[in-house]
Amino acid sequence: MRGPLTPFSLPAMNTEEGYNGGKPGQQQQQAGGGFGQKGDNGDGGGVNNKVKYTMPGVLHFIQHEWSNFELERSHWEIDRAELQARIAFLQGERKGQDNLKNDLIRRIQMLEHALRAERAKYHKLKYGTEIPQSEMQLPSASSSAQDEYSSIPEVGADSEAPLSSVSNVSWKQGRQLLREYLHEIGYTDTIIDVRSSRVRNLLGLNNNNNLSGIEQGQSDNNQINGNNYNKRFSDNQGQCSPTKRTQQQQQQQNQKKLLDVESAVMANFEFLSEMRSTSDSGDVDMDDDGVDDDDDDEDDDDDEMGMADDVIDMTSICKFGPDDVDAEAEEVVNELQLLTEDISNKENEQNDWKVSNRDVFNKNSNNANWIKNEPVEMVDGNMDLALGLGELAQLTVNNESETNADIIDMKTASRKTWNAKYTLRSHFDGVRALAFHPTESILITASEDHTMKLWNLQKTIAPKKSASLDVEPLYTFRSHTGPVFCLAISKNGEHCYSGGLDNVIKVWAMPSANIDPYDSYDKNILINNLEGHEDAVWGISVHHNRSELLSCSADGSVKLWSPTNLKTPCLSSYVSDQDEIPTSVDYVRDIEGQFVASYNSSHCVIYDIETKSPITRLECSKDPSEMATQLIHRVKCHPTLPLTITAHDDHHIRFFDNNTGKMVHSMVAHLDAVTSLAVDPNGLYLLSGSHDSSIRIWNLESKTCVQEITAHRKKLDESILDVAFHPSEAYIASAGADSLVKVFV
Amino acid sequence: MKMAESVKKLLKRNKPGTKANFFRKWPDEPFEEMESTLAVQEFIQQQIRIDPSNIDIILTPPDSQEEGVWKYEHLRQFCMELNGLAVELQTECLPDTCSQMTSTEQWIFLCAAHKTPKECPAIDYTRHTLDGAACLLNSNKYFPSRVNIKESSVAKLGSVCRRVYRIFSHAYYHHQNIYNKFENETYLCQRFTKFVIKYSLMAKENLIVPMPDAIMQGIRTEEDGTTSIKEP
Repeated sequence: MRGPLTPFSLPAMNTEEGYNGGKPGQQQQQAGGGFGQKGDNGDGGGVNNKVKYTMPGVLHFIQHEWSNFELERSHWEIDRAELQARIAFLQGERKGQDNLKNDLIRRIQMLEHALRAERAKYHKLKYGTEIPQSEMQLPSASSSAQDEYSSIPEVGADSEAPLSSVSNVSWKQGRQLLREYLHEIGYTDTIIDVRSSRVRNLLGLNNNNNLSGIEQGQSDNNQINGNNYNKRFSDNQGQCSPTKRTQQQQQQQNQKKLLDVESAVMANFEFLSEMRSTSDSGDVDMDDDGVDDDDDDEDDDDDEMGMADDVIDMTSICKFGPDDVDAEAEEVVNELQLLTEDISNKENEQNDWKVSNRDVFNKNSNNANWIKNEPVEMVDGNMDLALGLGELAQLTVNNESETNADIIDMKTASRKTWNAKYTLRSHFDGVRALAFHPTESILITASEDHTMKLWNLQKTIAPKKSASLDVEPLYTFRSHTGPVFCLAISKNGEHCYSGGLDNVIKVWAMPSANIDPYDSYDKNILINNLEGHEDAVWGISVHHNRSELLSCSADGSVKLWSPTNLKTPCLSSYVSDQDEIPTSVDYVRDIEGQFVASYNSSHCVIYDIETKSPITRLECSKDPSEMATQLIHRVKCHPTLPLTITAHDDHHIRFFDNNTGKMVHSMVAHLDAVTSLAVDPNGLYLLSGSHDSSIRIWNLESKTCVQEITAHRKKLDESILDVAFHPSEAYIASAGADSLVKVFV
Repeated sequence: MKMAESVKKLLKRNKPGTKANFFRKWPDEPFEEMESTLAVQEFIQQQIRIDPSNIDIILTPPDSQEEGVWKYEHLRQFCMELNGLAVELQTECLPDTCSQMTSTEQWIFLCAAHKTPKECPAIDYTRHTLDGAACLLNSNKYFPSRVNIKESSVAKLGSVCRRVYRIFSHAYYHHQNIYNKFENETYLCQRFTKFVIKYSLMAKENLIVPMPDAIMQGIRTEEDGTTSIKEP
């Protein structure tokens, strides 16, 4: 019981002095006892020789405590500001919903009118007479709408979307229309998307069905902020207790008297939380009502309400879950249809699913109201109440992050630690790049020995020459006349692309996964040579679903290729306006039509592929001496978030927000230059390799290192040159300058 | 003090974005200062980079270098550079024109990569031999370490040499243009011939590609004028 109870104790301080939660109070007494004694002796001026407290010690203690209080106070200030922001946001959301409702009704009326007009026309064509007026006026509510909108011509066209059957095209049209409409009335996509991204985060889904990539990106960004926000709150949770402590210290004597009362209250709490836990699974409504009734009573009810609020929140999210944005749009369209059928009976829902959703909506708005009303008191200067509310908000977000954590825990449980499984030995010189097949257990490696090799990790062929070799390469790609630097496999797994010192990008057909390693040579395996770069090709990135390819070269250009076009494969070329040389390139994954290139100036630039113009510049420093040390070895975009991750020569990994161009995080990640990055397909983990010979796995959310593996030896001053995640299976791999490739499972 | 030195020392790295002209353009470093476990490979590559035609220097091991590792690393380097010749041969040496691996009319070489040695077309023989050599030289069983090599494993190097040499001889006798162009750039066959003679890895009568006298040191091969099948 102790865990769940702790949060309840804080609001208890709000009202009555000494009205404290039992257990924390007792702990406090024990802890505080020492301090009290210390203070007394300090006042005594050290007369009492038995006690070894010194004046400086006491002063230090007092200063320490004071700085703690200041720190806490500033935290509360921040919390308050955040809560106010949240309130404003919720108010906005509510207003948006009101507007939405009004406008939907208006729209329904318009559609109704259009329908009637169509019917009349149809009737006229069929029977040659005007439709009887009474029949036309059947939906009474719409008569006014008729007058109002009869002159609008596009109504007829618009009405098609919701009225026609469920074909995909019309859904899309309708959705698009609704979206535009919502946009006009101020119910911004951000609001929709915040919820949907929350859902996505909760479910760990990566919905690539971007109706409006940019807005979604923004909302994802909000999500990140939200998470930080969560974290700060949970940090604060730890700091709640010290405050409590001091207050309790002052009230110690009072407390003692009230111990009995407290225990009674505790019992009450237990009862309440039990009730909550039962009601969690059951009827949400009950909680809500209970809250409304007891609103003005004891503070513990606030907590109760907070919980109820949270429960509702979660339900609504779960309800929306699987269908994401579409679900909302669909719902609206459903609503439209229903209401068109029977506008006078708006409240009579026939669709169960919709009923529940609507209930949830109502409850949400209730809660929004409640939250909106409460803070007025808080702002009036009632600090204690602010504390209480802070706790409430914390509860709300905490639960959300718990669910997040659960999902992550599930993931980590399934792959707790990575262990070395295979060492792939066949290259004669450093391995510069590696890439996994999108679905099969196939790995291709590219080396400075001018070759690439294909490995089937599931086909541990019985080796002819020795018994201990576990995997032998199945195929050796020979055509490059210099070291191969970069490699990528197309998303359908049919082609692979390689570039290197010889300026050419080669397009290869993917050999069969079961090819005989000593089969006869088929020269058709080399499909195309992409010639156009005038210096070494250092980076390649493939589009996530189109057959398109970006490459960056030491000649200063980034080029876009259509790899299977034999005549003019080069589609366009992008050159930095600041004479920089690109070091790495990657498609922006969360938005269509953009890519990011890193330059030797230590800056990244996001380009629009069509217009060839730079959109955002990601700069980590403007100081030339710092820039010189911050060369970017690799740039990667997050698969779902507007986040760019860069690996730097100065041992750092940095994170940039694609929308603002601002650096959102920077961390010393290795003991030497970070050379390579890979993001797992779900966007939860980051893999980095470094010349310090180790690879590290990072939790992208907390930016903490989950595992470190020392994988390779050094050749010259180079060690690890590339790392990769398998897109669908549990493999990671690292490529080393020591000619080896290691695979971990 | 040590900090200052390490900062000052130029790191031998090819950072992304390096232009081809600056690729591997490091100041030379004496072997004694190479600290890595792969120093022998680094040293050989450095010597080749300085001047590929100076075969004697390239084949001169540093003092106190153990001979097994020296030979092994050189053979790795040969096989690696032979990829370059194989790439060139792929364009011209077709199964139609070179259906057998031959050099002079004397021998037809059978491909040892298969369970039962097989009469592969020349290009397949080339590829299979290089692939097989890569497997053997990277074999965990025979060459688990690149620092210490067992005496029994060193014996394997001879058969690898014998097989890969046939790639030179085939190129020389059937694809003279490719051979000459490649040899003028890399001096690889000369270096290889010198290498196998120096370490007695091949019988001298098998070295059938004509070489300058300085390389061959006056030794000639003998031919008996008949064509027979040579087992791998």
